[in-house]
Amino acid sequence: MTPSLDSYVMLSSALFAIGFLGVLVRRNTLVIYMCLELMLVAATLALVAFSRFNGTEEGDVFVFFILTVAAAEVAVGLGIIVALFRARQTVQVDQLDSLKN
Amino acid sequence: MNPNETALLVLLVPLAAASVITLFLGRRPGAAAALSVAAAAFVAYGALSLAFGSWRGGDSLQWIRFGDFSVSLGIKFDDLAALMLSIVAVVGLCVHVFSLGYMGDDAGKSRYFGGLSIFMFSMIGIVLADNLFMMFIFWELVGFSSYFLINHWRERQSAADASKKAFIVNRVGDFGFILGIILCYWTNHTVNLDELARLHSTSALAYSRLIPLLLFCGAVGKSAQLPLQVWLPDAMEGPTPVSALIHAATMVAAGIYMLCRIEVLMVASSLNVIAWVGTLTALYAALCALTQRDIKKVLAYSTLSQLGYMVAAFGLGSVGAAMFHLTTHAFFKALLFLGSGSVIYGCHHEQDIFKMGGLRSRMPLTFWTFTVAVAAITGVPFLAGFFSKDAILALSYERNGAVFAVLALTAVLTAFYMVRLWKIVFFGAPRSDAVSHAHEGGFSITSPLVLLAVLSVVGGYWRAYPRGFAGVFSLIPEAEGATHAVILATSLAVLAAGAGAALGFYRTDGTDALQARFPSVYGMLTLLRTSFDTAYEYYVAKVQQRFAMVLNFIDIVGLAGVVVRGLAGATEIVGFGLRSLHTGRLNNYVYWFLGGVVILWAYAAGVL
Amino acid sequence: MEQIAFTVISAFTLACALCVVLSKNAVNGAMCLLLCLAGIAGLFVQLHAYLLAFLLVLVYAGAVVALFLFIIMLLDMQGGQPWRLRGFQAVAGVIAAGLLISGLDMIALRGRTAGGAPAAGEVGSSLKLYAYQLFTTYLLPVEVMGFLLLIAMLGVIVLSRRVSNEEDAQ
Repeated sequence: MTPSLDSYVMLSSALFAIGFLGVLVRRNTLVIYMCLELMLVAATLALVAFSRFNGTEEGDVFVFFILTVAAAEVAVGLGIIVALFRARQTVQVDQLDSLKN
Repeated sequence: MNPNETALLVLLVPLAAASVITLFLGRRPGAAAALSVAAAAFVAYGALSLAFGSWRGGDSLQWIRFGDFSVSLGIKFDDLAALMLSIVAVVGLCVHVFSLGYMGDDAGKSRYFGGLSIFMFSMIGIVLADNLFMMFIFWELVGFSSYFLINHWRERQSAADASKKAFIVNRVGDFGFILGIILCYWTNHTVNLDELARLHSTSALAYSRLIPLLLFCGAVGKSAQLPLQVWLPDAMEGPTPVSALIHAATMVAAGIYMLCRIEVLMVASSLNVIAWVGTLTALYAALCALTQRDIKKVLAYSTLSQLGYMVAAFGLGSVGAAMFHLTTHAFFKALLFLGSGSVIYGCHHEQDIFKMGGLRSRMPLTFWTFTVAVAAITGVPFLAGFFSKDAILALSYERNGAVFAVLALTAVLTAFYMVRLWKIVFFGAPRSDAVSHAHEGGFSITSPLVLLAVLSVVGGYWRAYPRGFAGVFSLIPEAEGATHAVILATSLAVLAAGAGAALGFYRTDGTDALQARFPSVYGMLTLLRTSFDTAYEYYVAKVQQRFAMVLNFIDIVGLAGVVVRGLAGATEIVGFGLRSLHTGRLNNYVYWFLGGVVILWAYAAGVL
Repeated sequence: MEQIAFTVISAFTLACALCVVLSKNAVNGAMCLLLCLAGIAGLFVQLHAYLLAFLLVLVYAGAVVALFLFIIMLLDMQGGQPWRLRGFQAVAGVIAAGLLISGLDMIALRGRTAGGAPAAGEVGSSLKLYAYQLFTTYLLPVEVMGFLLLIAMLGVIVLSRRVSNEEDAQ
């Protein structure tokens, strides 16, 4: 018996929430970024599940693009983090608050 | 040039002269004086040619428009305006020429002549105005000119105070005036005099008791009736020619002129009020004049009294009688003031009558012209004042007996104090050094006196006036038969009683006989005179000042503090609150994200 | 059978995700992310999206996580106090996560009792069909992705130059 769509959706939302929890509570920028990637992957899981259960391939193709974008985003984001580290010598977000009022 | 253009030029030439004097001739008093006198001469020529000509009509220009409401400026030239314009022009020219001599060596001569020209412009504006809004504009301008000219010797504190008082008291009257104009516009949807007359003739006019009374407030202020008469005696701080022109002949008569213009709006009850206000003013002023020492102040109270006569005549229902007395009064009162100016000038600016005396031999021309004027005002037969005063007495005899009695009594008092003045100033021996060296002024001082004396003699024969004034003078009431005899007898008796008593009673030895022999009466009269000023002072100092301080407190604490600073403070607090949301930390921003998402979801799920 | 596989793999994935979030060491976190991705790849296989599973492992697990590890070790931070999940922030975070799950589930699962059955047709497992779609219907997004990668590459090159280098180069 195959698992129902609901279970895939609940799993995807749980993974998403865990990633979100990580973004909220961690202070290391790199770990926050990894949790962000976790959220993205959760979204792709939901997409694929819907695509399978609706019988189309659109969800799969969309995941292809998400993957590409995620890769590009990681590259650029890590480049920014490295530049930030060079400027501030820290990547702890509670020390990067120069936009404070 | 056609009459329309002449009228417009008559209005605008004094304004042009004043502008040129202000802008260019400040340091050239001779040129300023010449320009102003030339403008006055042109105005006289223009006014007389228009009055004697047959053109009557007018023109109008729309000035402001808001939807249905519009204010227009225009000229209405009918017989009434012709008469008033001629008076203003002739007396104005005489005063201008007199000022050439009187203010010859004054330091502020150009300023003075500029002020005279502005006054001529404003007064002609009132005369020619064809609707009440325009009249109000020029009304205020005349008030300003009066303020400017009273304050001519501005280094004197008394002059500054007097000019302020004149303006403020006038303002109180003008407040009633503008309320009346607004009410008239509201009920009749027009303030154009021609349209009001048309509505009146077709019985479509909306009458009310309030409109004429409010409009009368303006006349109360400008023509110095009770209770706003306090400014006129103080206005004598200005130079004497100014007093002659403004505060005797023309500006104070503007109130009467305005009343005659709005005659169509009158109702019987308001006319009654107007008549009594005039009568009481006449009596009160005559009583006050009995105790005055200053020659100009006596004449000022005399003016108040005669203005009361004119207002009473209008209140009894006759425009003709009021305007007739206005005409003759302009001539002899201007002559009286200019004569006193000549006396003051000759005595080197001495104004106390108990220091004068013996001028009969030293200043003969002034003496004779002054005598003519005194005779005219007291009602000596066949001079100008005799006819006009009799017309008023006849009117009051027929319409309202009580008014007649009071006016007759006032006539006695008039004769009394005028002859007192005449005797003390001109007869006896000189009572001070400056006076003993008195001498006549030059041609520019004496020639206006002669002209006005001639007019005071012949001015009463109104049938001899040009046909152009027929529209007004035909309204003068003529006494018939028995009434005629009664009035004639009354006026002769009044003259004899007043003049005889004064001649007998007063001595020419430098003391005031009334003060010496009946000090209690003298004291009571003085109290009567100063009572109004005391009352007003009390009101201003105690009531108004306190109220102003309360308002000041509300303004500083309430408006500036709570509302303005409070709103600014509230904005600052909100800004501070919002600023504290910018922590610069990523975690906090993500929480806000979540908050927004939750709200959106709740809304989408139908929970919210 | 499939149900059991699903349960096991999903439990494994969730555990690894929690480890990513709660690990004190960043490198440990990266490793756990790797395992998590492996689990997700398994779930993709169960959903018959074989190409995507493969791509996930290749691109995501292979390249992205490797990059993460490079950077973590490059920015060799000693970092003072080791991080621990406690305090007000932690409670707030857990509540937030709970809200998120409940919100998502409320919307996604409303009005249905048991989930639907999978549709007929093995669409996702046909590589040919997949490629056909990519090169016809979705050609424009593919080209745009190319651009995107180009720009990303340029961006990274620009970002990684040192400031002093720029001034010297001028």
